[in-house]
Amino acid sequence: MFFSLLSQWLRAPFTHYRLFHNFVRQDFTGQFAGSLGGKLWLFVTPIVNILIYSFMFSVVFRAPMPAEYDGIPFVVFMMMGYLPWFAFADAVGRASTMLLEKAPLITKVMFPVQIIPAVGTLVPYMVHGIALGLFLFYLALQGYFSLLWLWLPLIFLFQFLFTMGLVAILSALCVFLRDVQQIVALALTTWFFLTPIVYPVSMIPVEYQPLLILNPMHSFVQMYRELILLDSFSMSSFLVIVPVSLVTYLFGGWVFMRIRHAFGDVL
Amino acid sequence: MYSIAVENIHKDYRIYERPQDRLIELLTRKPRHNLFHVLQDISFTVLEGRSLGIIGDNGAGKSTLMKLLVGTLQPTSGNISIKGQVAALLELGAGFHPEFTGRRNIYLNAALLGVPDANIADMEREIIEFSELGDFIDRPVKTYSSGMYVRLAFSIATMVRPDVLVIDEALSVGDIAFQKKCVERMNEFRKQNKTMIFCSHSMYHVQELCDTAIWLEKGRIREIGESHLVVGNYEAYCNSRSVDHHEPLDINEVEDRKIKDCRVIYTMIRNLDGEEIDSIEPLTDVIMETKVEILADNLTCNFGFAIMRNLSEIMSAYLTTDLDDVPKGPFKKGEILTVRSRLNAVSMRVGEFHVLGGVADASGLLWYETKLSNLIKIKSNKGVGSVVMRVDWSVERD
Repeated sequence: MFFSLLSQWLRAPFTHYRLFHNFVRQDFTGQFAGSLGGKLWLFVTPIVNILIYSFMFSVVFRAPMPAEYDGIPFVVFMMMGYLPWFAFADAVGRASTMLLEKAPLITKVMFPVQIIPAVGTLVPYMVHGIALGLFLFYLALQGYFSLLWLWLPLIFLFQFLFTMGLVAILSALCVFLRDVQQIVALALTTWFFLTPIVYPVSMIPVEYQPLLILNPMHSFVQMYRELILLDSFSMSSFLVIVPVSLVTYLFGGWVFMRIRHAFGDVL
Repeated sequence: MYSIAVENIHKDYRIYERPQDRLIELLTRKPRHNLFHVLQDISFTVLEGRSLGIIGDNGAGKSTLMKLLVGTLQPTSGNISIKGQVAALLELGAGFHPEFTGRRNIYLNAALLGVPDANIADMEREIIEFSELGDFIDRPVKTYSSGMYVRLAFSIATMVRPDVLVIDEALSVGDIAFQKKCVERMNEFRKQNKTMIFCSHSMYHVQELCDTAIWLEKGRIREIGESHLVVGNYEAYCNSRSVDHHEPLDINEVEDRKIKDCRVIYTMIRNLDGEEIDSIEPLTDVIMETKVEILADNLTCNFGFAIMRNLSEIMSAYLTTDLDDVPKGPFKKGEILTVRSRLNAVSMRVGEFHVLGGVADASGLLWYETKLSNLIKIKSNKGVGSVVMRVDWSVERD
């Protein structure tokens, strides 16, 4: 029972590849359907965002950089945390409405519902992945490239699995308890400021710094920064990332599959 | 071979007073709900290639049963086994994305129904043709009229060629021409030995399209059998209910009131010569007659006749309530009254009926007693249609 649920969860996007593909395309292009700029917004939005933050943090607020990142512009330092974070936050933020929006479909058409959290996570990761890719390309031109970058897709995949597990739990919970929507919005803001993204770890009082190990997003951000900017592989972060991602992904899937049959009764 | 076998399914909805109760129950496993029985003791089978209609009042559980068959709901207990691929039209265009073109939605919807893209490409032209959308196929679905929406959804669902097709009220939308095409398509479907489940308020369609029918009442099967029989009984039931609400002519109800101020001795039909008859030539005059014995002093009454097709359906009724030139009493105990009403030029052309004669109180609202006549037949005659009227012809040259 336990394993058959998990295998249904793991395999859904592959066994129902057509449906998955169509859903992703619908979700992805649906964002721009009817708009004049179309897919251009995929590139314009992150570029404008990057410019705004560059201005804010290099001109208005000037955060002190930690010594090991010496010589790296603050914007680059921040963006390495900000871009992956936003893929995560976007997916989790949409999680609460994900199933509610698809209610007519879920109650009227028989299809593997577990595809929805997968689609809902993949699409933000595609959108923000583009921004991240653009930024990495820019960094490569600036001469940051190293072979360690080959780890990036794997780390990004672990972050994706971690996100998908959370999305699965939150989307399923929200069917039963609409308050989850508000809670998630608040929690994301809190989480954002508790993660050293727009500030370096060194600004946190030393006695609180060990607590950061409880924040998996910090490990991800740390991993990206050290890989890309310092050319080093953060083993301490990696040892957090792998188990946390896999456990979250599998646990989220298990919860989702357990209560998925009740969706029809409530939606 | 059974295509669908439903064994003794029950479906309960859990009603929670507060939304958080559901969560607490889920976590603590302690019940915090009231049960609402939507479906109880539902068992039936559908043979391969046969079609089943589901009828019943709103709230009888039709939609829930359909959802159980499709699989979007799980039964609380019992088993459902369905052989082959199921395509459902429970809500037309449930999978449509309003911003996308019809063509894009064909692919999306077909993927939902489990068809590979390669096969859809072959069907695409056929679907567009059948749906009669023409150039609209490349416009966003949000610009479609509801008729176009349905046409596209129906075309996709049937073109996918499932083994079992579940349709909920699909034919109620769309113009007559398209409805006709749908019926043809569904008949074609039956010829290909596919199974169909059809839920509709259109009794005509259920009779035409389904071999068997299930009549659901308050979550239980009230009747299951050949579709025209079940539909007939259901229609009779619906009619009787509407009569009950408007006309207090039901015999049993009067018995219940136990009012014994008077009694009706008989009701019959006579011809103009005064002989009792049991058949009528159309367009002749007849007399409805009822004899009443007064059992209480100082009784004021109203009288009425109703022509009934069966015990529950009134074809035509005549009451003295609003008339002033009819003696209504007060009558003395022991008096016998003969009440007659002349029907001029009976205009029914076919069929048979009873005449119901009765006595009501002064207000005309409370019926003391009523009595039915024997069955009266309309004599067979030449003509077409159910009604015949007296006509005068003229043909003139200008």
